[in-house]
Amino acid sequence: MENEKKIRKENVKAAVFRFAPLGGLILLFGIFMALAVIKDINIPYSFKNIVNQSVVVVVAATGAVFIYTLGSFDISLGASLCVSALIGAMAYNATKSLPVMLLTCVGVAVLISLTSSVLASVFNLPVFVTTIAMLSLLSALALVLIGANGTGDVIQVPAAAVRGINNVWFKLIILAVYLGMCVFLFDFMKLGRREKFQGGNPVCAKLTGLNGKRLAIAAFAIAGVGVGLGAFLTITYAPTLSRNTASSVGMDIIISIVFGGMPVSGGARSKIYSAVIGALSMTMLNQIMLALSLDSGVGQIVKAIIFLLVVSISMSNSKGNILPR
Amino acid sequence: MKMGKKITGTLVIPVITLIAAWIICSSQGVKLFETQLNLLTFIRTVANVSLVTFALAINLNSGRFDFSLGSVALLSSVISSKIVLALDWGPVAMLLLSLCFGVIFGLISGAVYVSVKLPPIIVSLAVALLYEGLSFTLTGGHGVSFANSARLLGFASIPNFLIIIVLALAFMIIVFDRTKFGYEYKALLSGQKVAVSTGIREVPNALLCYAIAGGLMGIQGFISATTNGTIQMSLNFGSISPMFMAFLPMFIGGFIGRYSNDKLGYLLGAVTSAFISLLYVRLNVSSSVQQITSALLLVGFLIYLNNEGKLKGLFVRGGGKG
Amino acid sequence: MKNGMKLTALLMALVMTLCACGTKGNESTASAAPGTSTEAPGKSTEAPATTAAEKTGPDDSKNVKIGVLVSDVTSAEALAFRAYYEEYIQKQYNVTFMYSDELADAAAEASAIDNFIANNCKAIISFASADRPAQIETCESNGVYYAVATGTLTDEQYETYKNYKYYVGAIGPDLMTEYMAGYDMAKYYLDQGFTKFGMFGGATPYYTEMHIYRAAGMLVAMCEAGKGTYLGASDMGGMIGAIYGAGCQLTPAKIGSVELCGYVGGYDFDDAWFGKLAAVANDPNVEVLLAVGSGQTAFAGFKQASQKLGDIDCYTADSVKLMESGTLNYLAGKFSASIGPIFMAVLSAVQGHPIRNAEGNAFAIGQGYWVATSAEEAKEYYAVDSSKTEPAYTRNMLDKLYNASYSDFEAFVKAYSFEEIKGLAK
Repeated sequence: MENEKKIRKENVKAAVFRFAPLGGLILLFGIFMALAVIKDINIPYSFKNIVNQSVVVVVAATGAVFIYTLGSFDISLGASLCVSALIGAMAYNATKSLPVMLLTCVGVAVLISLTSSVLASVFNLPVFVTTIAMLSLLSALALVLIGANGTGDVIQVPAAAVRGINNVWFKLIILAVYLGMCVFLFDFMKLGRREKFQGGNPVCAKLTGLNGKRLAIAAFAIAGVGVGLGAFLTITYAPTLSRNTASSVGMDIIISIVFGGMPVSGGARSKIYSAVIGALSMTMLNQIMLALSLDSGVGQIVKAIIFLLVVSISMSNSKGNILPR
Repeated sequence: MKMGKKITGTLVIPVITLIAAWIICSSQGVKLFETQLNLLTFIRTVANVSLVTFALAINLNSGRFDFSLGSVALLSSVISSKIVLALDWGPVAMLLLSLCFGVIFGLISGAVYVSVKLPPIIVSLAVALLYEGLSFTLTGGHGVSFANSARLLGFASIPNFLIIIVLALAFMIIVFDRTKFGYEYKALLSGQKVAVSTGIREVPNALLCYAIAGGLMGIQGFISATTNGTIQMSLNFGSISPMFMAFLPMFIGGFIGRYSNDKLGYLLGAVTSAFISLLYVRLNVSSSVQQITSALLLVGFLIYLNNEGKLKGLFVRGGGKG
Repeated sequence: MKNGMKLTALLMALVMTLCACGTKGNESTASAAPGTSTEAPGKSTEAPATTAAEKTGPDDSKNVKIGVLVSDVTSAEALAFRAYYEEYIQKQYNVTFMYSDELADAAAEASAIDNFIANNCKAIISFASADRPAQIETCESNGVYYAVATGTLTDEQYETYKNYKYYVGAIGPDLMTEYMAGYDMAKYYLDQGFTKFGMFGGATPYYTEMHIYRAAGMLVAMCEAGKGTYLGASDMGGMIGAIYGAGCQLTPAKIGSVELCGYVGGYDFDDAWFGKLAAVANDPNVEVLLAVGSGQTAFAGFKQASQKLGDIDCYTADSVKLMESGTLNYLAGKFSASIGPIFMAVLSAVQGHPIRNAEGNAFAIGQGYWVATSAEEAKEYYAVDSSKTEPAYTRNMLDKLYNASYSDFEAFVKAYSFEEIKGLAK
C-alpha cells in the first residue's frame, strides 16, 4: 500500500517534470494573453509574428535534435545557415528560380554539415571542436561571399520574388513536412532508436554492432536539411542578407532545444518535440519582454532566470548522486 | 622519457611557430619583433590567452563546458572599475578587486551548478545571460572608459604582464599538482563515480574549480580593460567569444603535457597563439584571412593530434621503403 | 502520457496557427502597392486626428505608442538618443516609446517591426538600416507611420518611397554631410601643419556607406593639402570609387607631402585588432589620429600624449572629460535632441497633420554635427545635450513644428548648429 502510494507519487512527480517545458510554454502563453488583454495587443497579429519569428529556429533546431541525441553538439549551425542563405540568394540571382534557391540552400547546408561530421568521423576529432573551427571558417566565408558578390555589404534577393511565399501557410507547410519527416525518423524508424542508444551508451552501442560514425553522418545530414530549410525561410522573411544574417540563430538553437526539455547528454530521453516547444517558448518570452518594455539588460536577466527555472524543473527527475557533466 | 625528448616535445610547437612566423614576416620585408611595442603586444596576448586557457581547461578537462567565462570577466571588471574610478584607486587595487569579484562570480556560477545539478553547459548559458544583463544594467549600457586614467592605463607594461603570467602559472601548478585539492581534482577527472565512492567530496572540488576559473577570468578582464582603455558591453552571448581563442592553446597544452607539465603546456600554447597573433598584426592581415587561418590551424593540429599514431606509421613505413 | 504531451503541443501550435492565418494581409511584408494600405492594427489611430486638427498643438488626450528600431543598443549615441526620448519627450508628451532589442540583421528588423505593429504602435522611428525598403513597405502596408532618424535614404530609395502615405521622411546627416564631416576634421589638422596621420576606418571594411564617405572626406583633404593622390584619386567621386574598388580595405600610403602612416578598420575586438591599433598609435611618426567613429574607444588605451585625436561620434560625459584632458581635440558629434524634430513630424502625422514637402512628398532634410575643438565648447554642448529639463530642443520649440508648413519645418531642422538652436530657443 505504502509502496503503491510512493510509486504513484513518483509517477506524478515524473509527469510534472516531463511536462515542465510544455507547462512553461502554457504559462508563458497565459501571461502573454493576459498582457495582450491589458496592453491592447493585437493577438492574431502576434500569433502570426510568433510563427514567423520562431519557424527558422524550430526547423533548424528540430534537425539539430538528431545531433544532440548522440550527445554531440554543433555550435556552427547559425553560421552554416548564414552561408547557405547567402549562396542560395546568389543562386536565385543567377537563375531567377525559387526551387533552385531552395535546393541550393539545402544542398549547401547539408554539404557543410557533412563536412563537419566527416572531418570529425574520419579524423577522429571531437565534434564540438570541429564545429568551433567550422564556425570561424563559415564566418570568414560569409565575409568573402559578400565581398565577392560585388554589392559590398549585402546580398539581396528582390523582395518581389519571395513575396508570394512569405506567408504563414507556406512556412507551416515546410515546417510540417520537415517536422513530420523528423518525427517519423526519430520515433518510428530504426535510425531514431539507434541514435538514442548511441547517445545513451556509446560503448554498448558499439558492442552491439552499431556504427557510430555512420549514425553521426546521418544525424548531421538531417540537421543540414533543417538548416538549409531555415536558410530558405530566412530569405523568404528578410531577403536582404548580410554578414550578420542569422547571427543569433546558433545560440537560439541551443537555448530552444534545452528550454524544450532535451537533455544535452542525448540518449533515450531525447525528444524530437523539444525544439518546437523551446523555440515557441523563447519567442513567447520575447513578446512578453517587449510588451513589458523591459530594458535590454533587465530583460536578459529575467530571461536567464526563467530559462534556468524551467530547465531546472524539467530535468529535476534525472539528477543522480554525482554532478552532471 | 629522456630529457632531450622532453625538452624537444615541450618546445617543438612554439619554436616551429616562431620560425614560421619569422620566415613569413621576413619574406614580406617585415621584422616580427621590431620595436618594444611588438614585444608588449606579444606578452599581453600571452597573458590574455594563457589566463583564458587556464580557466577554460580547469572545467573543460572535467567535462564541464563553461560558456560564462567571458561574462565573468566582463562583470568583475565592470564592478571593480566602477569602484576604482569612484575612489580614485590605482591599478593594483583594481587587479585585486577584479580577482575577488571574479572568484565570487565564478563561485556563484559553481554554486548554481552544484545546487540545481543541471549539465554545466546549460548552467553556463543562463549565467552568461545573467552576468551580461547585470553588466549592462550596472553601466546603463555605456560600458566603462579609462581613457582619462593614466594610472590604470599605465599598468600595461611588459614586467607587469610577466609577473601575472608567472604567478598564474605557479598558482596553477601548485594548486593542481601539489595540493590535496589537485589530487582529488585529478581523481574526479579520470573517474568521477569511483572517486566519489571513495569519499572524495565532489561538490567542494567543483566549487573551487569554478572559483579559480572565475578568479583567472577576473584578472583577464582587468588586463583587457586596462590595456584597451574601455569595457564594451555585450548582450545575447556577445561575451562568449574570448573563450574561442583558448581552444588551440588548450590542445597544444595537452600535447605538451605529455612531455612536461600540462599547465606549462597551456602557457606555451598561449605563446604559440601570441606568435600567430603578432604575425597578423605585423602583416596587417584582414579579419577574414585571420579567421580562416586560425580555424585551419585548429583543425590541422587536431587532425595531427588525433591521428598521430597513423601518421607516424605512415611516415615510418614511407621512410622504410625509401 | 507522452502522446498527451505531443497532442497538447500540437493543439497549441494549431490554435496559434489558425489565429495567425486568420489575420488579414501583410503575411508578405511588402504586399501592398505603394501608397495604399490594408486594414491593420495601426490604422485606428487616425480618428483622433480630426480633434487634434482643431488645436494648435499636439493632442495630449490619447497616448500614442511609437516603436523605435535600434541596430546597436550599446553605442553612446543610441543611449543618448534613448535618454532624450524616454527621459524628456516621454515626460513632456502623452507618448510611449517601445524599443527594439539590438537588431543585427534584416530579419531582426522585420521581426521588430511586426512586434511593434502587434503592440499597436502608431508609428515607427528607425535607427536601423539593414533593409530600409522592407521597413518602409511593411509600415506602408500596415498603415503605420515610418520615419528615418539620423540618416537618409539613397536617392533611388527616396524616389521610390517619397509618395508613400505613411512614409513621414528622414532627418539626419546625408552622405555629403558625412563626407564633409571627415573632410573638415582632417582639414582642421592639416591647416595646423600636421602631415602624418593614423586612421581608424570603423565599419569601412564592412562597406558601411557612412564610414566610407567620412574616410573619403579625410583622404581628399589629405590629397588637397599634400598635392597628391590616394589610390589614384583626389576628388570626392574618385575617392569613393577608389575605396570601393579596393574592396574597402585601406592601406597606409604617401599622399604627396602628407602621409597616412597607419590604418586599421573593422571591429574585431581580438588581440590582433588591439595590436594593430596599438601599432598605429605607437608609430612615432603619427602626429594625428583620425577616426570615422568610435575613435575614443578604439584608441583609448593606446594613444600617445603627444598625438592629437579627432573623432566623429556624439557628446557624452566621457568625451567631455577626454577633451578636458586633451586626449581628444576635435569632436564632430551628433546631439541627442537632434531626433526631436523627427519625433514631432511623426506625432503630427499620427494625429492627422503630416508634414509634406512642396510637392506633397515625404521630406528628406539634412542635419549636421556640432563640432567642438575645445573643452569649453564640448562642455557647453554637453551641458545642453544631456539636460533632462532644458535640452537643445524643448517642448516649446518642438510644439511649433506641430502641423507646421514644410518651409518652417525645414528651416527649423536646418538651423542645427549650437548657436542657431540657442537663437531658436530665444
